[in-house]
Amino acid sequence: MSNALLARFIPEARDLLQSSASGLLRLEKSPADATAINEVFRAVHTLKGSSGLFDAVALTRLVHAAEDLLGEVRSAQRELDSDLVDMLLDSLDQVSAWIDHLERHERLPDDADRVCKAAVGRLRDRLAPAEAPASSDPPAEEKPAAEIGWIADMAEADRLALFSDAARGHPVLAVHYVPAETCFYNGEDPFGLVLQVPGLGALDVVTREPWPPLEELDPYRCNLAFRLLASGARVEVEHLFRYVSDEVRIDQVAPDALIRLAGAPAPGPLPVVEDFAEEARACLERRDWAALRTATAALLALTNPELSTASALRWLDAVSAAPFPNAAHAAALIEAVATGEPPRLGSADVEPPRPVLATLRPRPGTVPADARDAASGDVEALARRIVAAQRCVLAEAQALDRVRAHVGAVATVLARLLPGRADDGLCARIAAAARVAETDGDAGPLLDLLGTLDDATDGGTAAATTVAPGTASVVPAPGADASAGEAARDERGAARMLKVDQAKVDLLMNLIGELVVSKNSLPFLARRAEHIHGSREMAREIKDQYAVIDRLAQEMQGAIMQVRMLPVSEVFDRFPRLVRDLARKLEKRIDLVVEGEDTAADKTIIEALGDPLLHVVRNAIDHGIEPPAERRAAGKPEQATIVLKASQEADHVAIEVRDDGRGIDPAKVRAAAVAKGVVDAGAAEALSDQEAIRLIFRPGFSTAAKVSDLSGRGVGLDVVLTTVEKLGGRVAVTSRSGEGTTVRIAMPLSMAVTRVMVVEVGGEPYGIPMDIIAETVRVPRERIKTIKQAPAFVLRDTVVPLLRLARTLGCGTAAADVAAEAVLVCRIGGAPIGLVVDNFREGMDVILKPFDGVLAGMRGFSGTALLGDGHVLLVLDLKELL
Amino acid sequence: MPLRFDGPTVRFEGLCMVEEALGLVEHWRETPPGTVDLSTCTHVHTALLQVLAAAAPAEVIPPSDPTLARFVAPILASRRPLP
Repeated sequence: MSNALLARFIPEARDLLQSSASGLLRLEKSPADATAINEVFRAVHTLKGSSGLFDAVALTRLVHAAEDLLGEVRSAQRELDSDLVDMLLDSLDQVSAWIDHLERHERLPDDADRVCKAAVGRLRDRLAPAEAPASSDPPAEEKPAAEIGWIADMAEADRLALFSDAARGHPVLAVHYVPAETCFYNGEDPFGLVLQVPGLGALDVVTREPWPPLEELDPYRCNLAFRLLASGARVEVEHLFRYVSDEVRIDQVAPDALIRLAGAPAPGPLPVVEDFAEEARACLERRDWAALRTATAALLALTNPELSTASALRWLDAVSAAPFPNAAHAAALIEAVATGEPPRLGSADVEPPRPVLATLRPRPGTVPADARDAASGDVEALARRIVAAQRCVLAEAQALDRVRAHVGAVATVLARLLPGRADDGLCARIAAAARVAETDGDAGPLLDLLGTLDDATDGGTAAATTVAPGTASVVPAPGADASAGEAARDERGAARMLKVDQAKVDLLMNLIGELVVSKNSLPFLARRAEHIHGSREMAREIKDQYAVIDRLAQEMQGAIMQVRMLPVSEVFDRFPRLVRDLARKLEKRIDLVVEGEDTAADKTIIEALGDPLLHVVRNAIDHGIEPPAERRAAGKPEQATIVLKASQEADHVAIEVRDDGRGIDPAKVRAAAVAKGVVDAGAAEALSDQEAIRLIFRPGFSTAAKVSDLSGRGVGLDVVLTTVEKLGGRVAVTSRSGEGTTVRIAMPLSMAVTRVMVVEVGGEPYGIPMDIIAETVRVPRERIKTIKQAPAFVLRDTVVPLLRLARTLGCGTAAADVAAEAVLVCRIGGAPIGLVVDNFREGMDVILKPFDGVLAGMRGFSGTALLGDGHVLLVLDLKELL
Repeated sequence: MPLRFDGPTVRFEGLCMVEEALGLVEHWRETPPGTVDLSTCTHVHTALLQVLAAAAPAEVIPPSDPTLARFVAPILASRRPLP
């Protein structure tokens, strides 16, 4: 793949898909599992994030839709039912298919957009069905006026026009755009961009820094910041600013936020204002908007347009001219006209605390805006800090004689904060002091009370916060520190993992294999040194060196084996999904229990195990497990259990598939086997029940005819047996009618090194895999009997047929007349057989190389191995040979 | 040439782009800014507007395009700092 980033993304994406799928299945079982939902959400979220790097929009969108749905599940807005899991799993499957396509073609299939649209549609349908179908956008949150103080800086005429638009249903957006200083070098023209804002209704421009004299002006450094109001669609504005999205802040504002009075307050009570107010109140009472407008216009004509009273009248006109006038706003404006005070338009009416915060700014740290307290869970400390901050605000306001403007906000904060932290009496006194401050403009009593509160909660730390700003922020919160340390550890842990291409590991293993073989030539060299060159000394030294190299080679081999070891969970992971899907399809209730998934074995073994296990598990579900009704009738729980268990036993790994289904009926198997011609009737009768059950592994024994009313898939279990045995494993099946079936697969831990026994036949050495050899015996000639023209002998009361390997291999035997035959007793397919050989030699570990090229078709041999002395050893495959 | 320098008077014509900004600054460093005529210009780049705002010429004849005139004005008046 040419795109290295994509090449890294693909395995990562597969891992993420796998972990989200298994997490989903866990969630389905225990919906309250917070770890599982977090894990799934994180995996899907990460996938969405990394997929955004590539040209795979459809994939990102689909994952995004799934993420949204999962987000709702996570925040407990939605319950996860089986249908939802189905849908999410289907989406993940689709993503998985796309990942495969991406790997092959580096792009998504042509129909991806269409598929994505359909899939996203299905997911979105589930997402918040209560929401109006037309509005796919989340309802934009309207900003309270106090937060966007600069709206008041906009020209009143502009605001009036926007208000009238807003009253007709055009949302008003407040955009704050601070272009980067270097934006001109990127070819940007911020003013040009601003002019394109749809429905641009008001613009205010401020500078980052005061303009320097022309001599120092750098015309190519942007010193401007734009604040604008627009009545366009939010999506269009967002689209316009998409390339500078981090430089803009777009808020939707409530229409009443636009109502700000301009102009100077009236110097004294205006004549006729009282009359107007009375008349206007009456009009409002009757909801006679036309009359109210007439009265307003009449007074406006008499009022100096520069006065704030005129401004209030203009707003009153705008409010009453709206298609659906807001009576509360109108009432507030009428009072504003009457009293000359700013209108009280509800909670958002507090004068923005901006001026005081601005005065605080030159001394950062006075109120350490540090959220770490909250992170570390120290709510009390945070509360103390908030109280201290209120004292700062009040003190500043007191100094500037602006107490009235801020005491309201302070009182609100305290009223929310204090209950539960201070006794009721103190709360009441504080509320009273706040009222005094509001009416008299003197915050002294309130400040004193807050001081006592501080002292009561904490002996003066808060005071220290106020007096010596910044001290609190210097002390790092212990929680934050610990989590930082953890993160660092995690990072180191991640760095230790290395993703290596398997081919490189295989190459290393082959090289080590070669080393093992060439190391074996050293003993031969030692022997030559002694016998041919007559130097015992040299021979001993070579042997010493050999011992060292031998040990190192073995350690290396062990180490590389460890690298290739994979946990069986690699194969087990796909079963929860398979069992769930099949069970749902067949309307059976099955619980899959997985045990020992950490058991490790060589990668080749693990990979080869997948298909046989699949057949076995499928068979258990299809034929073993009964439908719930039948189980109930049999007195079993409706929920069937399949246990998938792995364990390590000596030098092999054992995998067990156990179900509690109906079991295998030996009589039916016998009958079916006879009917299929797998065995003849006599042989079938002679078999024990357990042996009869093994007939299901015979080729030609169709699953369809087995003890099941469900049709089989035409996959015989013989495939299982062949695959497993090819890898040197064994399969055993036990079953009790009505109680269940257990299939046990035993596999060697590793296949890299094969242990063989070397035997001599016709003067040539041959290797025979150790795992099929039962024992070696020397049988006196007279004990060999001929039964039905076939030689055999009796070994511990069992008749063992004899086979002359020399004859089978077609070579002459060296020792024709010896008193006792060397017999190698092997077990092939469970039955013993005696192989007559010329001589036994040593057992050894070899690296088995299968035949290739023209020799690949040779039957009877599993391959060759190179011996230390340079000879080639042929290793027999007895199953094929006999 | 979108910018015509005529002693203290500078006339902006058509599309006035970013390249002109340095020339304008240099011109005004030598000749104190007098009248700026924007009446025939169709667009003024932000960089040029910055120079206008910083130089604060005695007289500005606004663009004839009403929309442009309306929104150029706040930039020329941008003497307040960012809060």
